[in-house]
Amino acid sequence: MNAKGAVLPVGEGFAPAVIEWLKEALNREIFEAVLIPVETPAEDSYAYLLIQNPAILDRASPLPPVMPVQGGKAIGRLTMRGTLNKRVAAVVRPCEARAAIELTKLKQAHLTNLFLITLDCAGVLPLSDYLEDPATAGARFAEAVTQGDRSPMRPSCQICHRFSLASAPGVDLHIGTLGIDEGSAVIVPGSLKGERILEQMGVSEDDERARPVAEMLERWTTQVAEVTEAQIERRRQAHAELQEAVAGADRLLETFSTCINCHNCQRACPVCYCRQCYFESTALKLPPDNYLARATAKGALRFAPDTLLFHLGRASHMALSCVSCGACEDACPMDIPVGQVFSLLADRAQEALGYVAGRNVDDPLPLVAYEMEELHGVEQPYVEIYREQEVQDA
Amino acid sequence: MPEGATSSAFTPERLRTNQGAEETVRQLLRSLLQSGQVEAVLALGKTGTEERGVAYSLFTEPDAFAMDGDALPLLPFMPANGGGLLSRLTLGGALARPVAAVIRPCELRAFIELMKLNQGGLDNVVLISSTCAGVYPLGTAVNGNLDERVSSYWEGMEHGELDEAVRPTCRACESFIPEGADITVALFGEEDLDRQCTLYLNTERGAALAQRLEGTTVTGNSERAAIERSKGERDAFRQKLFAGVDVGMTGLIHTFGRCIGCHGCKTVCPICYCQLCHFDSHDCEREPGYYEGELRRKGGLRVPPDTVFFQLGRMAHMALSCVGCGMCSDVCPADIPVSTIFSKVAASAQATFDYEPGRDLAEEIPLRTFKEEEFAQVAT
Repeated sequence: MNAKGAVLPVGEGFAPAVIEWLKEALNREIFEAVLIPVETPAEDSYAYLLIQNPAILDRASPLPPVMPVQGGKAIGRLTMRGTLNKRVAAVVRPCEARAAIELTKLKQAHLTNLFLITLDCAGVLPLSDYLEDPATAGARFAEAVTQGDRSPMRPSCQICHRFSLASAPGVDLHIGTLGIDEGSAVIVPGSLKGERILEQMGVSEDDERARPVAEMLERWTTQVAEVTEAQIERRRQAHAELQEAVAGADRLLETFSTCINCHNCQRACPVCYCRQCYFESTALKLPPDNYLARATAKGALRFAPDTLLFHLGRASHMALSCVSCGACEDACPMDIPVGQVFSLLADRAQEALGYVAGRNVDDPLPLVAYEMEELHGVEQPYVEIYREQEVQDA
Repeated sequence: MPEGATSSAFTPERLRTNQGAEETVRQLLRSLLQSGQVEAVLALGKTGTEERGVAYSLFTEPDAFAMDGDALPLLPFMPANGGGLLSRLTLGGALARPVAAVIRPCELRAFIELMKLNQGGLDNVVLISSTCAGVYPLGTAVNGNLDERVSSYWEGMEHGELDEAVRPTCRACESFIPEGADITVALFGEEDLDRQCTLYLNTERGAALAQRLEGTTVTGNSERAAIERSKGERDAFRQKLFAGVDVGMTGLIHTFGRCIGCHGCKTVCPICYCQLCHFDSHDCEREPGYYEGELRRKGGLRVPPDTVFFQLGRMAHMALSCVGCGMCSDVCPADIPVSTIFSKVAASAQATFDYEPGRDLAEEIPLRTFKEEEFAQVAT
């Protein structure tokens, strides 16, 4: 068994091949259930379904054209209160896996017995674009994916540089398609759990045309690296332009001037896990005198107040764990570029602390973890002051 | 006598000014602030420097109501239901000094329902409302099309006709004459709104506040015919709108299938006042074993769960007080006609109890009141 990867033969198309593989894994009881997007009954959207019955799995879509619910959020709902008893495979996009990893660090998800399976992702369409006409949008999406064209995708997807395994080496299995022609895909393990699954599944090491898996892995790795580099450049440019447009209090106020305080962004965010957001709590429900004094001081007080404060507060609470998925922007009824602004803030914050959200479940969350030497800034440890004296006394 | 109360001697009056509606309203509000008769005015206004941002603000500066000021008191747009905002303003205690609020009939009804639910109070709140030709969906402002719509809006207003681009729920609204306002600005079906404006001074306080306005007292209601005709048209549209949604179980599963679970409908609903919604609470967070049990039973289940259950639960909680403002539909990122579905169910729930939300503050919400004879069915 080559631990570096295996071939997934793609005969009838990519999605059916992935589903067949999942069914076989269910059949062999490697997994007992699968969490995966499935088209809704009205065929106008997709929802995460936890599936045991293989017949339902036939309707699944491993890479649907939209992301109505962030998969990390679905994993959180499933495991927030503890560890699964059944072995469940979650088939999600890389940013969804990264959100699940952040939630795990925040103790809002439990990954034991959960197998994270990710796929090379070309992005998703903005929900509003898709809902205008789901049937044609689906075809447009498929075409764009084939062309490697990210322009119709969510703005966050257009500048995503963490669309493949390299961004979350902690996932259990990743299915790679980039750089490999349509006849095949590679399944790459990211963990010991993943390696064991591949061994149990006994997937072939060369494809139908007898190309060795090593060659395909090589092509995939090269292509992923190339696209990543191009995407990093796109992201850098987009963020530079965005910074021009939004930096500073005045421009931020302008950016959020159309906000109606619905807090959909916070609700759609996979990382914002608070049962009750501080900004909706009684802490900010004040006596009328307070509002009127603020209105008098300024001549006018936007009401309800604290609109920008909500966004800045949310950013300071979650920027280190922001996975730049764009779910917030999709949920905004006012088309505010909230996902782009947050991705800019998040990149800067994470860079400053040498942290990448969702990269690895073992990376400690900067503001939650303390290191011994950091305490020096506050006080000199006891041992350093008294050790010498203690030794002498002894 | 306490402010806001109507003395038995007071007869409602009608005042006609020789200025357009926009000028009249702005002049009234400006003079109220200048004279110190009110401490602040809650009204729509510009936010930011571009024209796109519109929000409610508490204005204390009279100049905001100059013709080119930041306030936009009659803009046909509803970024938040003003009834909910009045609740937020007065929930923490009574206002020490009068504050005037310029809100639409459905916002006023929402505030009345909220007061019945102990979520606010009327002390020192001066209510200024108008006959209403609807508001444009939030998306109209996003596209930057609001300004170009507004001129045809006012033309339609004079003829007692609704612009087809206003919220569907507004086109289906038959409660467009405000109840319980101190001052009602007569707009719908009124002629020459750019040259004259009629104010209904419904309360003694309303009449006192309008004293500085120059005008003549008038009688008769010339707009009555237009209002009656529009009611018929709106009712027909309402029936059509209701016919388009299936509120049976299959219909709800299909329609809410694309719900993303953001609960934005609940957040912007003026009636949904719970600090923490049951469906966001600990009660609805489940152990993994719950999902695994459901899985055994059904073979597959949606995660997060309870998508339709949330809608039904919210409906059961607030349908009797639903004022049909349409905020829920407007905020929905999945474009679900939430308001149409809720209005349809609310209409039959309210008819069952012969209850109209927001009609009268003195009228109790049916499920919150018990009559002595009802106990006879339980025990003697």
